[in-house]
Amino acid sequence: MTESLQIQLKKGVLEMCVLALLSKGDNYAYDIASRMAEAVGMGEGTIYPLMRRMQNDGLVSTYLQESGSGPPRKYYKLTKSGANALKAQVSEWIVFETAVRKILGDAT
Amino acid sequence: MNRAHFMAQLRDGLSGLHHTDISDILRDYESHFADGLADGRTEDEVAAALGEPARLARELRAEVGFRRWEEHRNPGNFVGVVLALLGLATIDFIILLPLLCGLAAIFFGLSIACLGLVVGGSFLLFNLLPFGWHGVMGNAAMQLLIALGLISGAIGGGALLLLLMDIIAKLLIRYARLHFRLFDTANKSI
Repeated sequence: MTESLQIQLKKGVLEMCVLALLSKGDNYAYDIASRMAEAVGMGEGTIYPLMRRMQNDGLVSTYLQESGSGPPRKYYKLTKSGANALKAQVSEWIVFETAVRKILGDAT
Repeated sequence: MNRAHFMAQLRDGLSGLHHTDISDILRDYESHFADGLADGRTEDEVAAALGEPARLARELRAEVGFRRWEEHRNPGNFVGVVLALLGLATIDFIILLPLLCGLAAIFFGLSIACLGLVVGGSFLLFNLLPFGWHGVMGNAAMQLLIALGLISGAIGGGALLLLLMDIIAKLLIRYARLHFRLFDTANKSI
């Protein structure tokens, strides 16, 4: 697989992965970023433009919560339309993934 | 690169944005450093994992510009979207540039036309006043109708113009987002 195809693929599922992480519970950017960096090799700094864009699109909302140490932390929360977007993207992904797997299965 | 160096470069890259947006963004990255240090990483490690501050600043500027446009659709924010797009400095943009110049010229022409209709209509309305020059065009009722027609034409044209701007801004934003490099090649994380 060429590098650019990998990048395009990952870029496409990045938003879905972040939505999925948030569907398991509210979270803050550092934790989301380190999970995503570990799982799909996303540059950690890009979580902030991405979160900002998802906030612009109304998929997530933010609130501040006191942390044990230091200033209050910004938490991200899935909105209703974020949850809907996740549902739609996951079913699209499953259809795509099943189709690819079928073709790959035929080839081997 | 240490924390102070990273933050300074990020701040440089964001200059020109509204100060509340800047401090909001800087706070995000400050707390990222704080979390990273608490996690046992060094400032240099956190900075390296974050990626190039100048590029992050360009993407953040673009997102802020898009949000401002979506909140307040005025010509100033439209220019902001175009400037943000320029800031992303994608090569294909050179191809887009003549197209944008053409669009700008068309918008300018249409705005002038709308302005002309308003001026013409107002002139006719003014004429209806007792001290106007009577008999420029038909009788008073006809003049009133023509004046109102011209002005409502201008309003309709203006609305159409805004609608067009909205569609074009949406297209530009989608185009720009395709060019965000969400994966940082600089630190070998693809």
